[in-house]
Amino acid sequence: MDGAALEFRNVTKRYERDGDAVLDALRGVSFTVPAGRKVAITGRSGSGKSTLLHLAAGIDTPTAGEVLVAGRDLARMGEAERTRVRRDGIGLVFQFFHLLPHLSVRDNVLLPAWIAGDRSRDAARRAEDLLGRVDLASRASDAVGKLSGGEMQRVALCRALLRRPRLLLADEPTGNLDDDNSRAVMELLRRLADEEGSTLIYVTHSRELAATADETWRIGSGVLEVP
Amino acid sequence: MIPVFVAGLIAHFRAGRTLFVLTVLSVALGVASVLSIQILNANALGAFEGGLDAVSGEADLTVLGKIPLMPSRVVPEALEVSGVEAAWPLLRVVAKLEGREGVYLDIVGIDLVAPLRVPWDASPADLGAALGRPGWAAVTPALAREMGWRVGSAFEVSSGSRRARLTVGALVDFRRLTPLSSPRLVVMDIAQAQDALAIPEGIHQVDLTLARGAQRDDVARTLSRRLGASVRVVTPEQRRRQAASLLSAFRLNLTALSLISLFVGGFLVHASTQAALVRRRREFGLLRSLGMTPRQVLWIILGEVAILGLLGTALGLPIGWWAAKANVKAVSATLTNLYLLEGVETLRLPAWIFVLAAAAGLGGALAGALLPALDMSRKDTRALLAGLAIHERMGRASGVLFSAGWAILGAAALAFLAVGREVRSAGFWIAVALIVALPLMTPWVLKRLCGWIRPRGFDLAYGVKTLGVKLGTTSFAVAAVGVAVTMLVGITLMVGSFRKTLEVWIGSTIRTDVYVTSESWRRARETATLDDDLVAVLVRLPGVRAADRLRQTSAWTGSRRISLIGRDAGLPGGEGRFPLVSGGRADAIRRMVEEGAVLIGEPLARKERLRRGDRLRLATPRGEAEFPIAGVYYDYSDENGSAVMDLAAMEKAFGRGRMTNVDLYLDPGTDPHATMDAIRARFRGVPLEILDQRGLREEILAIFDQTFAVTRLLQGMALLIAACGITLTLLVLARERVAELALYRALGAGRLQIFRVFLGEGVGMALLGLVLGAPGGAALAMILIFVINRAYFGWTISPSVPVWALAAQASAMLAAAAIASVYPAVRASRTPASELSRDDL
Repeated sequence: MDGAALEFRNVTKRYERDGDAVLDALRGVSFTVPAGRKVAITGRSGSGKSTLLHLAAGIDTPTAGEVLVAGRDLARMGEAERTRVRRDGIGLVFQFFHLLPHLSVRDNVLLPAWIAGDRSRDAARRAEDLLGRVDLASRASDAVGKLSGGEMQRVALCRALLRRPRLLLADEPTGNLDDDNSRAVMELLRRLADEEGSTLIYVTHSRELAATADETWRIGSGVLEVP
Repeated sequence: MIPVFVAGLIAHFRAGRTLFVLTVLSVALGVASVLSIQILNANALGAFEGGLDAVSGEADLTVLGKIPLMPSRVVPEALEVSGVEAAWPLLRVVAKLEGREGVYLDIVGIDLVAPLRVPWDASPADLGAALGRPGWAAVTPALAREMGWRVGSAFEVSSGSRRARLTVGALVDFRRLTPLSSPRLVVMDIAQAQDALAIPEGIHQVDLTLARGAQRDDVARTLSRRLGASVRVVTPEQRRRQAASLLSAFRLNLTALSLISLFVGGFLVHASTQAALVRRRREFGLLRSLGMTPRQVLWIILGEVAILGLLGTALGLPIGWWAAKANVKAVSATLTNLYLLEGVETLRLPAWIFVLAAAAGLGGALAGALLPALDMSRKDTRALLAGLAIHERMGRASGVLFSAGWAILGAAALAFLAVGREVRSAGFWIAVALIVALPLMTPWVLKRLCGWIRPRGFDLAYGVKTLGVKLGTTSFAVAAVGVAVTMLVGITLMVGSFRKTLEVWIGSTIRTDVYVTSESWRRARETATLDDDLVAVLVRLPGVRAADRLRQTSAWTGSRRISLIGRDAGLPGGEGRFPLVSGGRADAIRRMVEEGAVLIGEPLARKERLRRGDRLRLATPRGEAEFPIAGVYYDYSDENGSAVMDLAAMEKAFGRGRMTNVDLYLDPGTDPHATMDAIRARFRGVPLEILDQRGLREEILAIFDQTFAVTRLLQGMALLIAACGITLTLLVLARERVAELALYRALGAGRLQIFRVFLGEGVGMALLGLVLGAPGGAALAMILIFVINRAYFGWTISPSVPVWALAAQASAMLAAAAIASVYPAVRASRTPASELSRDDL
């Protein structure tokens, strides 16, 4: 696992309305995350955590600076190419799981493969395998509405990992769970990232959960403090 | 409250301009559908009445014959009746204008010196010269303009096998008196008209004015008594009522079908209002928490919808007018073919149409919005401020709604079984039950069908599956498409079945090798007779094995005018001409020849409740006469009813008369085309229409197709509204599902993929609408064929499935759905992944 999985170079994100600056969400942020590392980012609400993750995922583009994923600058890419990079190389986990209620547990996990046009048996086997690893193999055919919050987030983890992403980005993955579930999901997230060889960057409010990362960075008023 | 209303309206418009425009368009199309039909109906009736009023507008009473021609002595006899001040005869003949395809003139022969109110464009002195100038005719300025005529221009007309050369002697503008009167009215001196067109001695009508103080009803009764059973005395109101009643079935059917489009339009208002209210629930929650009452909330919502309805009405008026104008030819063809009436030449917009438009647009929109508006206004403030799971609620209610749909259908079926035979409009009520039940059943069917779909990719099937998720939104669009498909399929099946039945009927009854009639017969019927000499030559032509001479005229049974046909009943081998509903043909024909019995057509039998063994009362020149009914035959020639009798019996009862058509049966091996050429050569210059068997069959089917062409307007409107509904719903979905779409984007879905999924949803809605609408349409077709058609027209139609026509319509629906989905799919595909909010999925 050589090289940087993610690198920000002097990244600024400014939200504007009618040409006037309204908010500097990120200001001159620079950092490098080597492949295989686990980084926790903490900060208050509105500090720029989610913006940072959005830029890292290519969901949004910086106002200035470079965002490099596996050495490729997302800021220089068109939207279609950024989408392909995200589809093939980045896994996303959200605070509110964002599972689709009209799909079964298995189909929710398989959704990224469908989107990528992969209908192979391998994808289906991979989904079964991931669900087995999070102890949800028996629930594969269930509707997601029948799952508990913790189970839902485990399904979301499987979905994020299905395409074997090199970079796993998690936005408050335990923010909607109780303490026990939070610990369990976080443990699972770390274990799966290890097993899959994915770089993990997660945003959390919890110092306890942040402490389990290889590194913990703080962000405040759009400025990232990297120790 | 008004500032809140105005601000809300503006914000609502800004938040969803396209949605707003589409909702207005849905109302507009529904309004246009109803209006176009009502404009056409009103003008068809107006043209009919205009034709009557133009020349008889000032008459207090009119005497009309129940026999083809009344004797001229009716005029002096009428004048002898106390209270009658003046009486003048009229002769009305439809003649074909030679040299112009399909142009017929309504020639009115009048007594030029009678005290008629005729809007001449000539001085009375000129009229004196008319009597001494053979062929003198006054035409309308519109006709003169159309044909490029001026006073002194000559033109030729044909009536039956005779041609006459007429000269434009004056202009007469009946539209000054009756705006909707036909521009094709031609006025001649009655004696000259009789001579020129070789009309036998007699008149068609006598108009009367009464002396001051005379009681009209008393005079009418006295006249009826005095003039006998072969005439009827009618007031202008009765004449109008009869005109309206003649067209009533035609008008009612078109109106009923057009209302389906309005219903679908109202449905889409319901869907869009609901979508808007879901979006604005917190706004109303806030207003309620600030002290606004439920009633004020209700008024705000209904006020907005009323504005939307008014805009739809304003837009629907020109669309309806345009649709009516575009279809005036089709309706004219129907009137001409079915009722032998002058077609609609010009369209007028009566004032009441505006009231109807406002009622349809405003009423339809308010009715569509009422339930969601009531629902929103009755919610407590806390519920409004909380999330509203409308889709979950719809999902839970789907079973109840499905049962309610079946309950409505069941109740309608029971009511029909109980009283359906006695109530003529029962078929319409079952159709209404069907159209109401179908949307109620939609959510359940949608939920089930979408639940069964197992997508294996992010593709069309995936798109269709998602339709089952937002039931609160998608149900309305699918139901709207389902209702539209029901109408499309219902009409197509009915018309297709009718056409197939007609084809079979033609195949079994039309066996003639060569058919000869006059060019004017198609419109003029009883006055378009063939000269006796001509008929005598035809039947003796070389190679002619047998000739079936037809004398077609009109007759009256009670207050019904029917078509009466005299034929050589005993023609050897001619039994196939009379396909009987029941009973043996040989016996029936024997009774026709030996007893002077009649066969009656099925529509007449149904409408007058007559059967074989009953007697048919007909007005004859010698008064009322009864004819035994030897059988009932399948008849598709006259909606009002028809009867056939042997020529000899007809002559005995109605006197001598000329033939109108001749069917020639040729010896084996004789070439029909050689015979047709021989007839043309022998009667060069005679306005004859000569067809072989195939040509005759094709002409009948062409007339049929023309007659039902107007249904295409309704089908087109239904298709447009359904497409509108799909666009509208997909736009709502694109808005409601921003978070879901953003998730797809976050997971790596490209714009094109989102576009395809949305396109799949649009096509899926059409597919599901087809699944729902196909059985609905089949049921509607059965109602149209077996209930409504029998009650109103009396025809027997054998159901058949016009596969290609249905396949073409299904393809058109899917194509329309795909086109309608493009814009919303583009909008949806532009949803950025950054729209992924925290709590919307």
